[in-house]
Amino acid sequence: MSIEFKKIDYTYSVNTPFQFVALKQIDLNIEMNKVTAIIGATGSGKSTLVQHLNGLILPTSGQLIVNDFVINANVKVRNLKSLRKNVGLVFQFPEYQLFEESIIKDIAFGPKNFGVPEDEANKIAKASLKLVGLDESYLEKSPLDLSGGQKRRVAIAGILAMEPDVLVLDEPTAGLDPQGAKQMMELFKKLNTVHNKTVLLVTHDMEHVYNYCDNVVVMKKGEVFLNSSVNTFFENTTYLDELNILAPNIIRLKNMLKNHNIDVSGCDDIHSICDKIVKELK
Amino acid sequence: MASFTLGKYLPYNSLIHKMDPRAKIIVMMLLLCAIFIPAGFIGYGILVVIVTSIVLVSKLNLKFVVNSMKPMMFMLVFLLIINILVIKTGPILFSLFSLDIYLDAIMQTFYIAIRLLLMIMITTCLTATTKPLELTLGIEDLLKPLKVVKVPAHEIAMMISIALRFIPTLIEETERIMKAQASRGVDLQEGKIKEKIGGILSLIVPLFVSSFQRAEELAFAMEARGYSPGEIRTRYKQLHMKYGDYLAIVFGVLLNIVMLTLSMVF
Repeated sequence: MSIEFKKIDYTYSVNTPFQFVALKQIDLNIEMNKVTAIIGATGSGKSTLVQHLNGLILPTSGQLIVNDFVINANVKVRNLKSLRKNVGLVFQFPEYQLFEESIIKDIAFGPKNFGVPEDEANKIAKASLKLVGLDESYLEKSPLDLSGGQKRRVAIAGILAMEPDVLVLDEPTAGLDPQGAKQMMELFKKLNTVHNKTVLLVTHDMEHVYNYCDNVVVMKKGEVFLNSSVNTFFENTTYLDELNILAPNIIRLKNMLKNHNIDVSGCDDIHSICDKIVKELK
Repeated sequence: MASFTLGKYLPYNSLIHKMDPRAKIIVMMLLLCAIFIPAGFIGYGILVVIVTSIVLVSKLNLKFVVNSMKPMMFMLVFLLIINILVIKTGPILFSLFSLDIYLDAIMQTFYIAIRLLLMIMITTCLTATTKPLELTLGIEDLLKPLKVVKVPAHEIAMMISIALRFIPTLIEETERIMKAQASRGVDLQEGKIKEKIGGILSLIVPLFVSSFQRAEELAFAMEARGYSPGEIRTRYKQLHMKYGDYLAIVFGVLLNIVMLTLSMVF
């Protein structure tokens, strides 16, 4: 079980005036059963990268391995559907993909496409809806009558219902209120820890990266700038400065305390840091 | 989908790009008229040469213009069959399973194919070399004389420009939703008919929803900035006809005269 990018290039609109190289020589290993954040400025190739994962975009050159599925550039790929069942991709603003007349039908749409019988699909749909934090009273409502945040949840439930091993999310919290965003991130973490899923998410929020992710992949101008664990990434301020990224609050606090000669190493949450400060000041 | 180029502006720098949009629209109309004058082989030969050179001068890729013909192939085949069954004039070309195939049937279909091809080339040429904004200004100016008979020139021009502006957006949106639904196992290439219909539905509904939303948002945004269609307004961008523009129009008229003469002779 692995996800590997081997020397992958991708160019949009080849041989037109709009030709644009989005990915250059991507060599990347994604650790399974972890939460990996993909960060980078807009236009750095994050979305293009994640769309490779379930074969929506096929590489211009190079090789991609997802589990036992191998995609080679310029070779016709068979049975993309089985890849798509294994890798669930949630697009940016996924609420726009809702279309059925009731929520249960919309969530069951995915599994039914992959050949799950109707009553089984409905059962999964109910479970998925519960997983994203909406109760059963929503099942028969029209997805178009919901608020933005609720639509987002339903759309994500639609992907979860496919029961993929790998869950890929493109900016899943964009436009959500802080509370909603937090619940979403906790859900993804839970899917990883409890349900053992590999989660990849594109995000701009360093707090989310720090609090919920294990690894981080930094994209810069179509290339992989860095692939490391979250802790190593935030400890190394030269990276952050070079990428013009503001570290999460807690890291900044720790750095400030270090400058004031208060040793807080080993403290990872705000409470233990506070305790330490109180102890130091006594 | 990415090959869908109709109505997309291509930012090259050519003689055609620099023409006045009004002149371009008029010349396009004249060329379209010329296409529908039945001037036989010589006539179409002349037109093909002229239109091809226009496409080349505007630095467009000839292959990609011709590629836009592909979706029409089905229609042409259908037309050919109908023509073979209906048209029974001219010399018999050959017999196929006791069905006589007449020369005129083949010729008719060929002419229609050529007309379609030329039409697509000309219209692509116009939209690919003219910025939507310029096109709107051109249309508005050309419709101005009709204001006397209460034709809302500005409103029509605005509607056209909004429609043109949203073609690429809608294509992008379609691609996005297609990808999103493909991720949910919709397979529009393979799969049973019933599944395909469900798949198309999963595409159309979200497209309609988002189009209406977009339309509403755009209307609000325009109103919020004080847009009111009936107002008299000045323009930042002024159009100026140049010597070459007049020349092109004269050329278009001449071409029509030549075609008419040809059609009378033959």
